[in-house]
Amino acid sequence: MNVLLVEDDQQVGDFIATELTAVGHHCVREIDGAAGLRAAQNATFDVMVIDRMMPQMDGLALINALRDAGDNTPVIILSALGEVDDRVQGLHCGADDYLVKPFAMPELLARLDVLHRRVSAAVGESETTLVVVDLSMDLLRQHVQRQAINITLQPREYKLLEYLMRHAGQVVTRAMLLEHVWGYHFDPQTNVIDVHVSRLRQKIDKGFDHALLSTVRGKGYRLGPQLDD
Amino acid sequence: MKTRDVVRSLTFRGIVTYVTALSAIVFLLLGAVYLYFSYTSFRTLGESVMSELETLEVVYSGQSLAGVTQYIDDQLASSSIHRFYYLVTDAEGIKIAGDLPARPSYREFDDGWLGFELALQNWGQSIDVEFLAYPMLLGDGYEVMVARDYADIVDRAELVFTTLFRFLIATWILGVIGGFFSAARTLDRVERLNLEVSRIIRGGANERLQVKEEKGYIRVLAMFMNQMLEQMEALMQGVRRVSDNIAHDLRTPLTRMRNDLSQLRDRSRQEEGGQLERIIEECDELLSSFNAVLRISTLESGSRLAGGSDVELRALLRDVVELYEPLAEQRSIDLALEAPEPQVCKGDTDLLFQMFANLLDNAVKYTQSLGHIRVQMSTKLTADGSRRHCVVISDSGPGIAFLERDHVFRRFYRVESSRGEHPGHGLGLSLVQAIAQYHYGSVELANNNPGLRVKVELP
Repeated sequence: MNVLLVEDDQQVGDFIATELTAVGHHCVREIDGAAGLRAAQNATFDVMVIDRMMPQMDGLALINALRDAGDNTPVIILSALGEVDDRVQGLHCGADDYLVKPFAMPELLARLDVLHRRVSAAVGESETTLVVVDLSMDLLRQHVQRQAINITLQPREYKLLEYLMRHAGQVVTRAMLLEHVWGYHFDPQTNVIDVHVSRLRQKIDKGFDHALLSTVRGKGYRLGPQLDD
Repeated sequence: MKTRDVVRSLTFRGIVTYVTALSAIVFLLLGAVYLYFSYTSFRTLGESVMSELETLEVVYSGQSLAGVTQYIDDQLASSSIHRFYYLVTDAEGIKIAGDLPARPSYREFDDGWLGFELALQNWGQSIDVEFLAYPMLLGDGYEVMVARDYADIVDRAELVFTTLFRFLIATWILGVIGGFFSAARTLDRVERLNLEVSRIIRGGANERLQVKEEKGYIRVLAMFMNQMLEQMEALMQGVRRVSDNIAHDLRTPLTRMRNDLSQLRDRSRQEEGGQLERIIEECDELLSSFNAVLRISTLESGSRLAGGSDVELRALLRDVVELYEPLAEQRSIDLALEAPEPQVCKGDTDLLFQMFANLLDNAVKYTQSLGHIRVQMSTKLTADGSRRHCVVISDSGPGIAFLERDHVFRRFYRVESSRGEHPGHGLGLSLVQAIAQYHYGSVELANNNPGLRVKVELP
């Protein structure tokens, strides 16, 4: 994945760049908004990671300029603000996702993955059946089967599974689940999400020889064939 | 503005009291001055009677009774308006000369003065007139009495007192009318100021009072209030700047530390990895308390909700309850929502969700298994006729002791008995209160016998 990173903090920038390179992405770094805009105009990127508060041209202005120029590359804003109105403001100006500093690197990686896939798999939005190994979901009939055995799900469990299946093989964080499955942006004080996931796991994995839904320690969850790690 | 409000106002009452007191004092002063002049008039009258008697005495001693009679006849012939009246009697009391009747019924005053009433023929009308008289013995049993009427003095006194009294009433009425208008004006200006101030309270500290339209002391007051608002705004901006700085300067290095640790963990061996994992978790805890504190500060120091979107409370509560249902079920807690009809309020969906999630989180955390939690939603009408949404979350847990109920909203405060037993950083309820107040609402804690009853009210 080709990533443009615009971040004025040297250390944070270094860290993100190193992490991105470590997982196999190609990363171009710029340290202010104006340079970021020039870089974006000169090359094509899959995803951009843009800091909100920067000298010269701030992140929101940069995104505005990009969108005005017809560039629709998905953008994640990084911000140390993250207060009540800021998120809305950031998303309004054309960003696709908003991540508040401090964030855990897996969170950023997971979100980048999702954004990238969303663009490249945009054609797949209209599909009517989702399949992950031997688990299938009929979106029209809202029907879930594994190895020809019907699985009955509650509405929320269905939405949860749908989201996981749409992002099969990717790590999905708790915050992402809260945002997309429940539709709220908040910090749970306890492990509420874990309970929901373990309920779902009971239904789709119990009694089958291999588990599909796994917990990735310190990161989130992944649906798909077990990896060796 | 109602007349009743003006009449009740302090300004009006003050002016009425002042006008009443002023009129009374002026009346009393003028009255006293006039009484003094009346007294002087009477004294002059008395002195003139005495000197007339002296003249008569001199005439008697020189020309005896015939002279006196002659003198009196001369005096009566000269028809001056203010003249003396005479009566001369002999030893038997038989009238010899003079124009007074022989025996009018006298009243005796001090010092030998006599008073009587007599009808005088004046322009063909008989009018009762008051007289003041003094008798004197001339010798040989003869007695002379000189009298003078004082109707003019009495008339003058009556005129003056009536005029004074009328002036008093007129002054009082004019004063009260003037007071009414001046109080109405003051009240009007104060009311306008009140409206402005309440607009600022709603809108936030960046608003200012309109100074141009005001005059005099209200203008000065408005200017001072604007200065105060400016200081307040500067302070608020200061707080916001400080928290932004903290956010930027402290959270960023903390994040770097956490990320470095996470890199280290990925490269480290199994046993060290576990230890690093725990440090990272601690780091995350620290960061999340930090974020919570900053969030509370921002909610408390910033301006309140402006506008906001329509939030359907029943749907929101259903989502919160649904989110916590598995957790409650896991601990065999009966969790029920009672919301008969949809209700829409203005607010920030994510914040409201956070608030109810925190409350349910606490309820689930502190309720022992086989307990129950109720979430009830209702509306009530307030005294001023506006509707308020009311959400009550009650549980069968240990509750919070009465003395601790105010403290639990403080940041980092934790009920002593729950310290160590339950996880948490003591910010959940502070955030709940900050969110409720941000929405112009309130949170109250009460006893559920047994358990805790949290009542959230939103406009």
